[in-house]
Order: sequence, then structure tokens, then C-alpha cells
Amino acid sequence: MTNADSTVVEQTMRISARPETVWRYWTDPARMCDWWGAAAELDPRPGGTCVVEMDGGGIMRGEYVELIPHERIVFSFGWDPTEGAPAIAPGSTLVEITLTPDGDDTILALRHTGLPVGVRDEHASGWGHFLPLLATAASGAVDA
Amino acid sequence: MPEELMDESLRAVADPTRRAILRLVRAGELPAGEIATHFPSISRPAVSQHLRVLTDAGLVDVRPDGNRRLYRWRREGLRDAAAFVEEMWSNRLARLKAAAEREEWPERRRAAQTRKRLSKKENRR
Repeated sequence: MTNADSTVVEQTMRISARPETVWRYWTDPARMCDWWGAAAELDPRPGGTCVVEMDGGGIMRGEYVELIPHERIVFSFGWDPTEGAPAIAPGSTLVEITLTPDGDDTILALRHTGLPVGVRDEHASGWGHFLPLLATAASGAVDA
Repeated sequence: MPEELMDESLRAVADPTRRAILRLVRAGELPAGEIATHFPSISRPAVSQHLRVLTDAGLVDVRPDGNRRLYRWRREGLRDAAAFVEEMWSNRLARLKAAAEREEWPERRRAAQTRKRLSKKENRR
């Protein structure tokens, strides 16, 4: 974070579920489709495919880089160059997810690196902006 | 902001030469000619084309100065593009959290009810 041009985003959130459960939402196609895409092709091993197709047809194309079961997932992140997809080329950015148990909950830490220069500050504030929304979603789940 | 413009700005920063140009003009306003001298391996028309892409995407501002054209960084441009990426993650991670919590909710509620029953028994004693 010392380089003014580096584009690193780090954020943390608490999920009221165990790391094993949260892990499956990044590695199991059916669960991935519960929150991210309409279809997913996942091969959760280093070098394995991590492709998620959005409802709108955009395709996130990545590769798993590192997996430590229930603890850590690293994958490359980019979009196929199709109409309407964000211009972040496959392989150009990296997402690192760290899951740390805290009682029965999980602290999820996300680190997204390699985003286009200049995006960092605004992106980081965006994560801060959505954390209150997550808190709302969590209390909603508890009241259900 | 219109979605096409967000896409345009993301597409604009996807190119390494245009990112290098952005870094240059972020430091201060520069005429096109001076920007071109930083890219000796790229033709002048190609540099002009990159500048046009950046201008159209709202990432740089241009103003005439005599027979020169001066370019400078437009801070709001990337904020718009960043909002696009931001929104994707914020929507999706909120859904991940909700889905994972929903999956464990039934067993957590059962556990909580069991605890409640046990503590009631405890109190009656």
C-alpha cells in the first residue's frame, strides 16, 4: 500500500456461519450460483477453472491459484471481452479470500489486487460503504 | 451515470499505454506533444487516438491553448468506473453472506432453542 499506483483493496466482514459453510460458496457451483452467477464451472484446485456466467451474459473467467481448505482461496479475476462486460482482462487481477473462525462465525477478509490504476481509493471506500448494508442483511437473517 | 459510459471508462483503462498516459496527466496538465515524447515507440496518430479514447470515456479533460491541446486528469472519471466494480462486489457479497447464514440458520435456531429450554430447566431448579 506504499506505492501510490498500487491498486489493492482490503476489506473484512463477519458472517454468522462456519468457515466450512462459507468455503463451499466459493467452490461449489450450485452454491456459487446462489449469490454470484447464473452458471458456474468450478474446478477448485490450483490451475483449475473458476468461471462464473452472470445473469446478463457476462463471463468472469478466472483460475484458482491457491486453496487451503476452509482457510484461504486465491483466484485470478477478469472478464471475457464481450459486449457490456467490464474491461478487466482475464488474469489481470487477483482475489484473495481468507476465512478465519471466530466462535461459530467466520471473519471473511477479501483482498482484490491489480485493479486499474486510480480505482483503489474509490473502490476501498465502496467496500466501507456496503458494510452497513451487510449488517442490515445479517440482522434480517437472524429475525427470519 | 449511463452504463455505457461506465463501460467505456473501464475499457479505456484496460490498455497499458492509456494507463501510462493517465499517470502522466494525473501529475499535471500536459500538451499532446509532450505526452507523445514519453512514448517514443508509438506513433503520434496512435497517441492521439489513445487521448481521444480517454477523453470520450471522461477520464481526461482537454482544452485548447493557442494551437496546442492541453490534457489533464479528470478525477471523477475513474470514480464512476470504480462505482461499477464496487457495486458488483457489494451486491454479490451481501448475497453470499445471506445465503451462507440462511444455510446454517435452522441448526442455529435449534441450538438456541435447546439452550433456552436447558436454562429454563436450570431456573426452575
